[in-house]
Amino acid sequence: MSHLLHKKPHTTLSRILPKFIQLWVSEKKTVSSLQAFRKRHGDAQRIHGTLASQPTTVDFAHYRSVLKNQAIVDEAEKLLKDFKPKTYDVSSHIKAIDQFEEKAVSKAEATAAEIDVELKALQATLANIEEARPFEDLTLEDVRKAHPQIAETVKTMVSKGKWTVPGYKEKFGDLNIM
Amino acid sequence: MPQLMPFYFVNQISFTFLVLLSLIFVLSKYILPYFVYLFVTRFYITVLN
Repeated sequence: MSHLLHKKPHTTLSRILPKFIQLWVSEKKTVSSLQAFRKRHGDAQRIHGTLASQPTTVDFAHYRSVLKNQAIVDEAEKLLKDFKPKTYDVSSHIKAIDQFEEKAVSKAEATAAEIDVELKALQATLANIEEARPFEDLTLEDVRKAHPQIAETVKTMVSKGKWTVPGYKEKFGDLNIM
Repeated sequence: MPQLMPFYFVNQISFTFLVLLSLIFVLSKYILPYFVYLFVTRFYITVLN
């Protein structure tokens, strides 16, 4: 009997479930891509930290005092002074990163919104299930809402002049006195 | 006037017919189908059970 009471929740659930699974998968994808991105970020940060902690100056005075060949020290110092780091145009990279971020954020927002909607539907379903009354409290109105075809059957029966339900007396007995 | 005697019952007869017709209408349209509906529903939900 319970499936009559729970008819509505079941249909809602069967409607929601595939979508929920799809959402689950897409959410998992979002989470995994986010984790990959986080890992990349962590690696980059670690490498940057190790490189930044290394000294960037050369103590030429020390080499001058140690090495006999002063010319090579002079040459090295000159080379170092003349060295200019090559500049790269990183705007395209930054743009790509920005695009990636934008995409990731929009995807995450979309996923969150979808999850919110699905969660609300699931909560409504849950409330529906929880508020379902026991069989004893079932009214004719509830059954009419769940199965409108019964009313149609009754209409046809009455229009054909059939006022009795076959098998009813055998099942429920007869209260007629006469 | 004895020849008018039958006409004294016209009032009663017309009201009787009116009440009868309205009773039949209400019973056949609303009250008795409700019982059929109740029985069908009862049967249906116990068949499901």
